[in-house]
Amino acid sequence: MPPAGDLALLQGTLDVLVLKALVFGPRHGYAVATWIRETSDETLNVEDRALYVALHRLEDRGWVESEWGLSENNRKAKYYQLTARGRAQLRAETTRWTQYAEAVFKVLRAAS
Amino acid sequence: MKLGSGIRRLLRQPAGARAIEREVDDELTFHVETRIDVLMSQGMTRQAAEAQARREFGDLRAAHDEIAAIDRGRVERERRADWWEALRQDVRFATRALLGRPSFLVIASVTLGLGIGANAAIFSVVDAALLKPLPYAEPDRLVSVWPDGAMMPGVFVEVRTGNRTLDPIAGYSGGAAVSMTGGSEPARLVMSEVTSRFFDLLGARAELGRTFLEGEDQPGRHRLAVLGHALWQQRFGGDRGVIGRSIVVDGIARTIVGVMPADFRFPSPAIDLWVPVSLDASPANVGRYWGTSHLNVIGRLRRGVSVAQAQQEVATLVDRSRTSFPWRMPDAWGTGVTVVPLERKIVGDIGSLLLLLFGSVAAVLLIACVNVANLLLGRAAAREREIAIRASLGAGRGRIVRQLLTESVMLGLVGGAMGLVVATVGVRALLLLIPAGMPRVTEVAVDARVLTFTMITALATGLGFGLAPALRASRPTLQAVLGATRNAGGTLARRRLSELLVVGQIALGVVLVAGAGLLIKSFWRLHQVELGFRPEQVIAADIPIPAFPSDSMVRGRAFFDRVLEQARAIPGVRSAAVASVLPFGGVGSIQSSFAADIEAHPVPPGGSVPMLVQTVVSDDYFKTMGIPLLRGRGFTPADRDSTPAVAVVDELTAKQMWPNADPLGQRFRPVWVKPWVTVVGVVGTVKRDSLSSAGEVSIYLSTRNTAGFWFPTQMTLVLRADANVATLASHLRAAVASVDPTVPVKAVRPVVDLVSDSAARARFTMLLLATFAAVALVLGAVGVYGVVAYAVARRTREIGVRMALGARASDILAMVLREGGALTAAGVALGVAGALATSRVLAGFLFGVTPTDLAVFVSVPAVLGIVALGACVIPARRAARVDPVTALRSD
Repeated sequence: MPPAGDLALLQGTLDVLVLKALVFGPRHGYAVATWIRETSDETLNVEDRALYVALHRLEDRGWVESEWGLSENNRKAKYYQLTARGRAQLRAETTRWTQYAEAVFKVLRAAS
Repeated sequence: MKLGSGIRRLLRQPAGARAIEREVDDELTFHVETRIDVLMSQGMTRQAAEAQARREFGDLRAAHDEIAAIDRGRVERERRADWWEALRQDVRFATRALLGRPSFLVIASVTLGLGIGANAAIFSVVDAALLKPLPYAEPDRLVSVWPDGAMMPGVFVEVRTGNRTLDPIAGYSGGAAVSMTGGSEPARLVMSEVTSRFFDLLGARAELGRTFLEGEDQPGRHRLAVLGHALWQQRFGGDRGVIGRSIVVDGIARTIVGVMPADFRFPSPAIDLWVPVSLDASPANVGRYWGTSHLNVIGRLRRGVSVAQAQQEVATLVDRSRTSFPWRMPDAWGTGVTVVPLERKIVGDIGSLLLLLFGSVAAVLLIACVNVANLLLGRAAAREREIAIRASLGAGRGRIVRQLLTESVMLGLVGGAMGLVVATVGVRALLLLIPAGMPRVTEVAVDARVLTFTMITALATGLGFGLAPALRASRPTLQAVLGATRNAGGTLARRRLSELLVVGQIALGVVLVAGAGLLIKSFWRLHQVELGFRPEQVIAADIPIPAFPSDSMVRGRAFFDRVLEQARAIPGVRSAAVASVLPFGGVGSIQSSFAADIEAHPVPPGGSVPMLVQTVVSDDYFKTMGIPLLRGRGFTPADRDSTPAVAVVDELTAKQMWPNADPLGQRFRPVWVKPWVTVVGVVGTVKRDSLSSAGEVSIYLSTRNTAGFWFPTQMTLVLRADANVATLASHLRAAVASVDPTVPVKAVRPVVDLVSDSAARARFTMLLLATFAAVALVLGAVGVYGVVAYAVARRTREIGVRMALGARASDILAMVLREGGALTAAGVALGVAGALATSRVLAGFLFGVTPTDLAVFVSVPAVLGIVALGACVIPARRAARVDPVTALRSD
């Protein structure tokens, strides 16, 4: 359970981040990791192993599917893309996360 | 959408575990390599970049394993889902295809149903007799001791005392008819005498009360009884207070100590009650203890003891007991003592019969399968285009084969369901037909085991008859795809296959019919056998001696004298007699033998004595049974206990005992009796035990002077009369009742029936095999018809051309018949070869016929040939009537 980057990821958070990373089109694992790190301004640093486990688990659940292709650096890479069910899952998770985060903020910022 | 993703999945799905490993490797390598690229682009050396990338990633191996495990699970699940989905599709498709051709469905499933049902019915009998373990505790340790012989009580006691390999060991009698009095009206029962540890040995507990204790087979302590469940229910109303009550069995009062549960049926389901045998070694009982009384012996092997060890020990003990006999036994006695698993003794020689029937019925199923396979081949032709289209749409050959097999397996299952119905009916019919003495017949039922067998058979037949047509049909035929004419290459190959199947079918038919022919001829021979007596118009009734307190011999004689007197007065009766046992006396009849001294052949000291088999008869026995008196005289009222004892011997005995002398006036005696018995007459030899035997030696003693001999506790009354059996029976019952109302008369049967019962097993075998053969014949004819008719239909156009070119109708007829004839000839030739090769297994079932009987082997192929050609005639005539114009226009 090594904390990644500056913040340890809450359980189940990684899945929704990976789904979000794929919303812009097919990406391979390295790109997903990079995107998450850069988009979070290097705050969220995902452990590599955990990322791949998440990708494969999402595939197992039928939320993403994979295909082999050529990468920018001309290597054989496995590309992941969202399935319809994956998109729906991302929408549901996003809503849930937002509600959750807002609720937590509300409590933490309570004045009295 | 579902299909789309399915196809995509098929295209990129890693095929196996190794592919998964490789893909995971590739994916992780890509990650690490890309990271290295990035680091190097930031100015690191390759070496430093590699080291850092690996450090960042952490344990690659562990990651690899974790990911691969996830993938393996997913692939496996997807594969299973695909499989079920395909099956669902196949089943839906097959259902539609089958329901689309209802006539085909009905014909095929009825054919299969009959075949599978017959197999299931025979299996239920085979299972009960051969396969199910015996219903006793640890049945594999139970053995039968000397199953081919029986031990005199004296021998049994020596073996019981001396042996170290069997614990316990017990003896029992197979069951004798007795009468029970006391309480309600007299009852005729079957009783087995057993030694004390009999029940313990089998692991059987009483349902109520107890079984016998150690030592209760000693004289004085033996007056006890254990009731069977049925007797307890019927005679005592299931009263739990029956323990301790007294019953009188054949004049001996016995105390009831227990009741056995309904499922205890040893040694046979006929047994109503068990009593302890009295192992009475006193001098007064020497004749029974060492002579006329016999026990069947069973034992339980001690742990770690083999059957062979037990056999060796028992053989030694039996041989040693020779010295304990009051007289010297023949050297041949006591040799060949064996110990065999009890199971084998119970099954006896029925095993080979059942296997024969099982084999035959399986052949019938095979023939039925060929018919269905040919139907499927014909259908495949009609579906050629549909299959080709599926193939061109990308369905692999395996997929198509699977599709077609699904259809045939479903057909098999429908056939199996029908088979269950057939089996249920068939088992009932079989139970009516089954000859007495079939082991464990009460356990025959359509139970879960039979159900399993039926379903497995149905699945196997579905695969069996479907495989060849499916493989055949799935072979890609380009012409069909391109829409070529129907007379394509695949059709020819398909026809060859059906022809091959039909040849095989005819061959199997020949084997079955030849087997049936041999059995029928053998059965007929059995009925031609010279019996040595005339059973026609003779009826028999077993009558027990009434329960007298003492001097039973004298009173027994008086009783039977009066019964005979009454019987002679019955209208239509020409003569009447009693005998201790009849030829073919049936199950439970007692043949009594004794060791004899022959006056003309004194046994040298240390020499062995001959054994004689005795029948005790009244005066008119020979006349009533129609046994010819060859020399001297029969018994008369002048023979008494006070006159010298006399005997009548049969011709065979006379020849064996006094080959060079006049048998009349010769004398013999049982070794334990003083006065000599004089031969006063010679009668014809009769078949006594079985029709197929050569005839057995018998000596006859008079009921009037049996001094020192055993006087039977039961006699069989025989009447020669013109009246019908039912009338005679009622008169006879009245007659016996008028003498002693306590004496029950049970079955009254024509002696002809007793004789034919002795051939019951032969009749059973013959009937079943003849039925199978008839079915095989019909199915074979249908098969030939189907193939020839199909060929004619396919060649209508060709026939039309021939006729247009000048062929006459008779030419066409001849052509078709020639082709059918060629198939038939090939099948028959193959079948005769097969029958000659296999008929040897029938040898044990045949009487008076060799397994290669010429008449059978000439007539069977002839019959088959005629039937098969007959089946060709209908399509041949249809071919001959083809109108060339219509035929050429078709297609």
